[in-house]
Amino acid sequence: MELEKRFPREFTALESILDFVLEFYKRSGIAAPDPSQVQLMIEEIFTNMIKYNDGHQNISIRLRRMGDHLEICLTDFDVEPFDYASAPEVDTEQLLERKQSGGLGLHLVKKMADRMTYEYVDRNSKLTILKRLGG
Amino acid sequence: MFDIRLQEGRGLVLTGRLDASQTTKASTVLKAVESSMALDLSDLEYVSSAGIGVLVQTQKRLQSTGHSLKLVNVQPRVRAIFHYAALESYFGID
Repeated sequence: MELEKRFPREFTALESILDFVLEFYKRSGIAAPDPSQVQLMIEEIFTNMIKYNDGHQNISIRLRRMGDHLEICLTDFDVEPFDYASAPEVDTEQLLERKQSGGLGLHLVKKMADRMTYEYVDRNSKLTILKRLGG
Repeated sequence: MFDIRLQEGRGLVLTGRLDASQTTKASTVLKAVESSMALDLSDLEYVSSAGIGVLVQTQKRLQSTGHSLKLVNVQPRVRAIFHYAALESYFGID
């Protein structure tokens, strides 16, 4: 089971992304993890791509059931590289000191994901997240 | 959909989904808070780092004047996010 769609690089797309995630859950019959966890991981990477990448094209999101894992793949086209998977861990105490939440999103994704891999090919930036079903 | 409004006896009540598209709405209301207050999250279904950022900014501002926000009635799936962020005690979540 696989579902893919491209979304405009706007925060207002988050509502459509939620519908997309729920549609995937409905079609694939997955019960866990809670779809809000999947939505959160997607939102954090999607908004990061909007804020920090220099792209102009829509962002691709693909959800795929892979055995006992859910694969979440986001691709931003024609952008400079940024390796989300290897970005340094943030210290929450430091986040509070700075009075801002920058870095917290990626921290949350790393806490929730079972595995993250990053690829940069032909100016396309692609992050793949694996999340164990039922976890 | 997201809403935030003052309800007598409950403090500020947050409803729905506080994602990156709703932070302006949350921030506008929270900027008017000038003393200690409870935020009732019993009807908040979802929060992302963007939403947490607004709450952190408000907490920092209030703490600088000796006040604070306390998050109450936090639902398990939202509480899990604060747990991952290591911010449960920062917001007085029991």
